[in-house]
Amino acid sequence: MRTTLFAIICIFAFQVNLFSQTEADRLTGVWEPSNGKARVKIDKIGTKYFGKVVWLKEPIDPETDKPKVDKNNPDKALQNAPIKGYRLLKDFQFKEGNIWHEGTIYDPENGSTYACTIEMVDENTLEIRGYIGISAFGRTDVWKRLQIPKRD
Amino acid sequence: MIKSIPLFLFLIFSFKAIAQPQDSTITEQEEDFSMYDNLDYVDQGAKRFCTSKVIGLSPQKLISIGYDVQGQTDISSSSVGMLNQQTEFSNVRFSHGLRLQGNIPVLSRNNIIIQVIFNYLEQRYNYDQTLLPIPTYPFRRTILQNGIRSTGLGTTIFKPLNEKSFLLFQATGDNNGDYGWDNLPDLVNTRLSVAAIWGKKVSDRKMWGFGVSRTYRAGDLNYIPVFLLNWTAANGKWGAEMLLPARANVRRTFNSRNILLLGYELEGQTYRIDSRNAFSALPGYNNLELRRSELRVKATYEFSLSGFIWLSFQAGFRYNYSFNVDTLPNNNDFFRGFTGTQPYLFEGKLSNTFYSLVSLNLVSP
Repeated sequence: MRTTLFAIICIFAFQVNLFSQTEADRLTGVWEPSNGKARVKIDKIGTKYFGKVVWLKEPIDPETDKPKVDKNNPDKALQNAPIKGYRLLKDFQFKEGNIWHEGTIYDPENGSTYACTIEMVDENTLEIRGYIGISAFGRTDVWKRLQIPKRD
Repeated sequence: MIKSIPLFLFLIFSFKAIAQPQDSTITEQEEDFSMYDNLDYVDQGAKRFCTSKVIGLSPQKLISIGYDVQGQTDISSSSVGMLNQQTEFSNVRFSHGLRLQGNIPVLSRNNIIIQVIFNYLEQRYNYDQTLLPIPTYPFRRTILQNGIRSTGLGTTIFKPLNEKSFLLFQATGDNNGDYGWDNLPDLVNTRLSVAAIWGKKVSDRKMWGFGVSRTYRAGDLNYIPVFLLNWTAANGKWGAEMLLPARANVRRTFNSRNILLLGYELEGQTYRIDSRNAFSALPGYNNLELRRSELRVKATYEFSLSGFIWLSFQAGFRYNYSFNVDTLPNNNDFFRGFTGTQPYLFEGKLSNTFYSLVSLNLVSP
């Protein structure tokens, strides 16, 4: 009897965990910020979620005629790092419902990193809020999900 | 047992290496990014709007705490209106005052930004009391003893219409006068300043706009056209930030955390001088408004102390534009504009002087 009960609990716990993981993994995929200047691919690494730049509308820096690099980064060692491939989103954890939190977002245009929360409004829309200190001091942007074109 | 230690350590480190997330900022370079060139929206793309930001613009101050000090100045005034008072004169060794300002975003989304703005500015005077006999100089005595303050609350709304155009609206109610904590101002005397601008976001480095404003920056109530320009050169080193005619700055950016601004600002308000005035018993001295305005030609150096905490040093020359006094008929403010002929009660003069302002700021993301 005890063995059966233990087995049921284990199966239930496993299924809950599996469901939770699936729910959390909805965040993965390729997303586009509202300004349409970049595309960011969000992956799960370990237990957290990270997003890197995979496409730029204007990949070449007009000043140098070379691929854009992270020249505004306060860390000099990273100022020659290419923007394409750069991890802007870091360390997001699934909270519950439609929220991923405790992450950061980096803005290459000014070299600043902000605390960040992601809310999935629907399966294909994210509201990404970057802020400093408290959430009131921040800004929300809408990101849309992208996919490989379907071929008929 | 000893032989198994290296194997144990190897297993520990191997496990750690596998378990640790690959969270380096720079990702593997050999990835083929071309697969992301042609993607479609799963449903539909977000409607795109221009942002209020221009690359390289000096950071907007969310909260600012500053202190302003002006050098020695002479104040003189002569009565030209209904009263036959003698000319007043006094010497101010220096003047100083606290400056608190805030721009708190209450709604900040890509399709609208609404901010609550507040400010508290004061001007206190350190003067030679032996040159200020009572009651010969009643008006000057009131100003110098009590100082003047401005407390304002308002909102700024940035509403992008699409990717290229936007509306900008700002309204503030300011209560200005010689009041203090023991004698708070009457809200009836709140003065409303409003500006509405339509503009174009030409690129990430340039935005401009035209509009109209109801303003007290020249001391008197006025209605004037305004022109907005925020621009950064392609090299990112030079730029301009202006809202004419109120202010204009040329910007030199050394890097994203060190900025020098050279320019001017027209600063002014109308101040109710009746809270604690020394001559309220005199007929005709009721409902007095000090029309104060000054042009500050200035150099400002701003830099990041740490992250979003910025320090600002400003120094320049303060040129007096208006220090005149009106008495309001029936306690109603009136429009004089640039061409009005209504006489002032006093025409005041401040000699020009140098000033400096230091402020600690929490800046916007």
